[in-house]
Amino acid sequence: MPLDTSTYSLALLRVDGRRWNELRRLHAQIRTQAAADGSSYLEMGHTKVMCVVTGPSEPGPRRGGGIGGGAGGQSKDAEVVVNIVIAGFSSVDRKRRGRGDKRTQEMQSTVANALAASLHTHLFPHSQINVSLHVLSQDGSLLAALINAATLACVDAGIPMTDYVAACTAGSTSTYAANDESADPLLDLNHQEEQELPSLTVATLGDSDRVVVLVCESRVQISRLEGMLAVGVDGCKQVRELLDRVVREKGQRMILEGTVEKGTGLNDLD
Amino acid sequence: MTATSEPEAALGVLPRADGSAKYSHAGYTVTAAVNGPIEAQRKDENPYEAHVDVIVRPAAGVGGTRERHLESILQSSLSHIILIKNFPRSLIQIVLQVEDSPENDYVNTKLVQGNLNFAIMPALFQTAVLALLSAGVPMRATATATAVAVVFHDGVKRTVVDPSPREIEIARSVHVLAFTSHDELLLAESEGDFIVKEWDEVYETAKKICCHSAPADDGMQMALDEEAAAGPDMRHFLRSTMESKVAADLYWK
Amino acid sequence: MPREAEPSLNEKQFVIQALQENLRLDGRELEQYRPLELTLGDQYGVADATLGKTRVLAKASAELTVPYTDRPLDGIFTIATELSPMTSPAFELNRPTETEVLLSRLLEKTVRRSNALDTESLCLIAGQKCWSVRVDVHVLSHDGNLIDAACFAVVSALRHFKKPDTSMEGGVLTVYTAAEREPVPLSWLHSPFCVTWSFYGEQGEIAVLDATWLEEQVRVGSCTISLNRHGEICQISKLGGTPVEAVALLQCSAVSLTKVKEFSTYLDEKLAEDAKRRNKGGLLAELSAENDR
Repeated sequence: MPLDTSTYSLALLRVDGRRWNELRRLHAQIRTQAAADGSSYLEMGHTKVMCVVTGPSEPGPRRGGGIGGGAGGQSKDAEVVVNIVIAGFSSVDRKRRGRGDKRTQEMQSTVANALAASLHTHLFPHSQINVSLHVLSQDGSLLAALINAATLACVDAGIPMTDYVAACTAGSTSTYAANDESADPLLDLNHQEEQELPSLTVATLGDSDRVVVLVCESRVQISRLEGMLAVGVDGCKQVRELLDRVVREKGQRMILEGTVEKGTGLNDLD
Repeated sequence: MTATSEPEAALGVLPRADGSAKYSHAGYTVTAAVNGPIEAQRKDENPYEAHVDVIVRPAAGVGGTRERHLESILQSSLSHIILIKNFPRSLIQIVLQVEDSPENDYVNTKLVQGNLNFAIMPALFQTAVLALLSAGVPMRATATATAVAVVFHDGVKRTVVDPSPREIEIARSVHVLAFTSHDELLLAESEGDFIVKEWDEVYETAKKICCHSAPADDGMQMALDEEAAAGPDMRHFLRSTMESKVAADLYWK
Repeated sequence: MPREAEPSLNEKQFVIQALQENLRLDGRELEQYRPLELTLGDQYGVADATLGKTRVLAKASAELTVPYTDRPLDGIFTIATELSPMTSPAFELNRPTETEVLLSRLLEKTVRRSNALDTESLCLIAGQKCWSVRVDVHVLSHDGNLIDAACFAVVSALRHFKKPDTSMEGGVLTVYTAAEREPVPLSWLHSPFCVTWSFYGEQGEIAVLDATWLEEQVRVGSCTISLNRHGEICQISKLGGTPVEAVALLQCSAVSLTKVKEFSTYLDEKLAEDAKRRNKGGLLAELSAENDR
C-alpha cells in the first residue's frame, strides 16, 4: 500500500487532497427525462449514474436480467425490479459485462431490497416499480451512487416512501494485516482508495442511525468496524442533506415556473 | 478392492423431497431425490402420460454429454416401469447426485468435465428405483441392475461382476443389464467388442445376480428384491433394510 | 415450474409472535445454532455438512491447466454453486435464481477474495502450467441457513483436500499419481466462516442466528458476516431489507466472532480425527516407504 499510507501520515491529506471526513463533490439533478415517471442524474466525484423509474404499473412480462426485491407481482405488495447497465466506457479498462454478471446481479438485488424497505409498496398491490440504472462513469463508491440516484428518482416519481435512503462509503487507512490503533477512518472513497484500502458501503434511512445496506468486500480487523461504520453513518447524513436540498430546489423552481398545480405555494414545501 | 463390499442403502434421507434414497455399492455412492407427480413445464407436458425427468449430476465438474447419455438411458428404462399413464400432464422428477465414485489410483483423471463412466449405471439405476419406492410412485415392477465386464487376462477370459475402474480400463467389453422383478430384461447396454456367445454368458451371469429366485413372497405389498452383486444374502440384507424402514415408519404413525 | 409453498398467515404470525417472546419453534435460544455436523469422505476433499435438516455436500478437485494470460503467476480457483432441483423443484437447471447468485457471490467473497487459498502456490510453471482447484457445492437439502452450511462445507472440503504431488527436475514437470506419492494438502492461509443473522420486528430489533426455512420466509432482513478466528472480517453483506440500528450490527459482529471460533475449533478437531483414522492400518507407513526409494 504505498499510495495512501505513506503520504497520508505526513500531511493527513488523501490522494485527491481531501481530509479524512470530506465527501467528494456531490451533484445531482432530478427530472432529467421528460418522458419517464421519475428520473435523476447523480455525480459523486467522477462516478456518474443515471436513473429512470417507471411505475408503479401493471407488471409486464419479466425483463431479463432484472432481479426483484419485495414480493412478487401477484401479491399484495408492489415488486421493485431493478436493472443495472454498466456502460463499457465507464471505467478505465474497457470490460464487457454480460447480463449474467453476478456482481451486477448482486447490486441489482441490493438496490431493489433497499428501496423495497423504504417505499410504501403495500399501497400498490399487484404492481411493479421498474428502476433502471445506467452507470456512465465509475470512480469508486458505485453502489452508494446507485442507491442515491434510485432514491432521487423514486422521489421524483412521487412514490410514497418513509424517508430518503442515503448511502456513502467509508474506509480505513490501516491494512488488514496492520493492527495499528492510529489508523484513521476515511469517508467517501474513490476508485484508487477502494482498490488499496479496506472499505464498506453504508446506506441509512433518513436521519436515523438505522442501516439499510452494509456491504464490506475487503479484509479488515473487527476492531476497525466501529470507526468505519460511525464515519459511514455520519456521511450518509451529509448525503441525505445534499439530496434533500436538490429535491427542495427543484420543487421551488417548479412552483415558480408554474408547473405544479395551482394552490401550492412556496410555503407548502415544508 | 471395494468391489466385494456389500451394498448399503438408506431411504428417506432428504427431508424436503417427496422421496429419497442413498445407495452405495462397489465404491459408488449416489443420492437420489424424487419429486412427483408435480406440474410439468409447458414444453414437457404430455397429454397422455407423465414425463419422467432424470437429472444426473457428477460429484465434481459440470455435466456433459456423458451425463446426458446416461440420463436418456435411465429415462427411457424407468418410464417403462413407472405407471406413467396414471398421471397425465404431470412430471416425475428424479435427481441423481453422485457423491463418490471409485478412483483409479494409477491415473490422474481430468475432472472439470465430469466424466462418469459406464459402470456407474447400475448404482444410478438402483438408487432411482429405491427413491421411487420411497416416494410411493406407482410402478408396475421393481428392478435390479448390474454391471458385468469381460476381461482377458493372461489369455484367460473372465467375466467380472461390478468391475473396478482398473478392470474397466483393461476390459474387452462392459455390459450393464437390468431386470424387472418379473425376470424380464429391462435394459441392456454394452460397450466394447464381444461375440454373441460372450454376451450370452454375460446375460446368464447378470440374470443370476439380478433375478436370483427370491425366498417365498411373504405377502408384503412391496416386493423389495433390490439386489445387486454378491449373492443371495445380499438380497436378504437389502430387503431387511427396506422392511426395517417400513416398520420404523409404521411404528411412529 | 412449481413454486415453493408459502407459510400461511397464521403460521407467520405464530413464528413472529413467538420470536417476540424470545421463543423459537424448535426450542433453541435466539443465538444458538442447530447441531452442526461434518462428515469427511473417504476421498480427499469431500465434506458433507449438516445443520439440522440443511445438508450441503462440497467436493474439491484439482487438475492441471494453463493459467489465465493476464495472471500468469496465479493458479485458478473456482467455486461452483448450482442449485439442482434436488434442493427444491422450484430450482431449475441452468437458470440461476436470486438465491443462487447471492450464495455464489458470498462464497466467492468469503473464500476466494479473502485469499484463504494461496493461488500463487498453485502455479507450477509461470504462464504455462498451474493447478485449477474447483469446489463443487451440492445442496442436498435446504432447511434454511444455506449460506453458513455451504461456507462451512467449502472450507472443510478445501482443508481436507490433497492434490497430487509434483516435482520439477531440469525443466521437466512430473505429476505423481496417488499410488506413487502421497498427495499434498493445499497451501491454506486462513479459514473464514459465514454467520448469518436474520432480523424480525418492525425495527428489525430481534436478531436471530441460524434461521430455519420457515423462519427465513418471515424475516424482514438478514445480514451475513464472514470472519476468521483471528477477528478479521472478510465480508459483510446486509443487502437491503428493514433498517437495523448500527449499534445492533456491531453487537452482531462481536457475537459472530465467538461463533466463528467455535466452528474453527470443531473443524480442526474433525480434521485431526480424520488424519488419525487414515493413519491407522499403516497405509501411510507403506506410502512413506515407497517415497524413500
